[in-house]
Amino acid sequence: MRSTIPLVLTFVIGLFMVGEYFIPHWRYHQFTQVFLEWGLILAAAAFLLGLFNLVQVNLPKVVNKEEDWGYKLVMLAALVFTLVVGFMGGTDRLSNGQAYKWLFDFVFVPLNATMFALLAFYIASAAFRAFRARNLEATVLLVAAIIVMVARVPLGEDLPLVGEKLPQFMNWIMDVPNIAARRAIFIGAALGAVSTGLRVILGIERSHLGSD
Amino acid sequence: MKLDTLVRFQNMDRRWIFLGMGIAILIPMLFPMTLPFKVDERVQSLYDAVEEIPAGSTVFISADFDPASRPELEPFFRANLHHLLRKDVKFVAATLWPSSPPLVMPIFEELTAEYGKEYGKDWCFLGFKDGKELAIKAIGENIPETFPQDIKGNKIGDLAVTRGYKQAKDFAMIINISAGFPGTREYVLQIQGQYDLSIASATTAVSGPDYIPFYKAGQLNGLSAGMPGSAQYELLVFPDGPPEGVRLLATQSVNVLNVGHAFIIILIVLGNIAFFVTRQAEEVE
Repeated sequence: MRSTIPLVLTFVIGLFMVGEYFIPHWRYHQFTQVFLEWGLILAAAAFLLGLFNLVQVNLPKVVNKEEDWGYKLVMLAALVFTLVVGFMGGTDRLSNGQAYKWLFDFVFVPLNATMFALLAFYIASAAFRAFRARNLEATVLLVAAIIVMVARVPLGEDLPLVGEKLPQFMNWIMDVPNIAARRAIFIGAALGAVSTGLRVILGIERSHLGSD
Repeated sequence: MKLDTLVRFQNMDRRWIFLGMGIAILIPMLFPMTLPFKVDERVQSLYDAVEEIPAGSTVFISADFDPASRPELEPFFRANLHHLLRKDVKFVAATLWPSSPPLVMPIFEELTAEYGKEYGKDWCFLGFKDGKELAIKAIGENIPETFPQDIKGNKIGDLAVTRGYKQAKDFAMIINISAGFPGTREYVLQIQGQYDLSIASATTAVSGPDYIPFYKAGQLNGLSAGMPGSAQYELLVFPDGPPEGVRLLATQSVNVLNVGHAFIIILIVLGNIAFFVTRQAEEVE
């Protein structure tokens, strides 16, 4: 019974939502809209679950002073502080001068941007080591990468002799081999998604119910 | 040059590469220079699509980016708002990214004030909605049910700008500034085909190649990728240079990309020369 009811619900609702694409009747639409609203409410509830989970996992480690408990304490303190400041700000929390906006501008933005900016350095190092013309495939990849990298920036267009042609080469690489490969991946992934969806609707795939 | 020097060069400490990259980024910041650049067909198409929107129409902006992708996407976001506002196009905005509202709200307020636009009448911001693909599907179906209130707590029905705009298809265009998931790909998959929507996308350089098939298939009416895309859009919006007080962020920053890319390419070329020389020497031995 514990698994039968969720399986029946998955089957009925899954089939109903697929039907929306084939039955353009307003009443049918009304029902699918109700399901969508339920879905959005569940997604919002998942945020709360995540919050509780975060506290549940980390708080005992801080209390018992397990490994890295100091970092977890900082994380929990930041979580509570941001939450309180956000609630205190109300609907004006995004205005200049508000504590929540200050936290966002001067703590979150620099931290988030710094993490992403580090990529430039790691990519330079990885590109230096990885892009070696060891065989034919690696050479093709290397040449394509250099053409795209040079032509993507204004510097490439100003190169003598090849500057005019480089953007054309780049567009060909992006529009022909790139699109061909990506379409193949998209179609493969879409077929995979359809088959997984069918497996879930028909109850063959049950991992979402907690079983293998 | 000795062989072991070349071998050492190939295996050099990556902190030297970090230092070189740091210098390559700093130089164009300290000594700005502007190289001319051409406009890509996809960016031109995006500009033309916005240009064709009649004055008084309303577009839906989905601002799905965060501080990490801000340098690439904020220049487009600003230039696009200038473009819409000076054409008297109204907009309803929302986001599917939780860290976006504090980032985009001040920009909306700054630029709408510059053009003398009134909140609720000419524009509004509905804020963040969780649910990812589900939220996109809901935007396609029924916006007032998905966002009953705007970010300021006003009922959406009380805002003049949203009246008559119930679904995504009611808007003249959907403009998606997308840093990843959920973003352009999900808009195309969930609602573009079903409602035959006109969608324009500005995305990060890394996502650009992913979305070219959508553009080529006509599912996107324009695509701006990364900082070069944003710089090209700025050039189209301000062909005679920026008005007083407006900074063309991407146009200024694109030189950093120039030198950064040149540094990586030089490294790759030198690395390969060293690799071939050492391999040949090893084969002779």
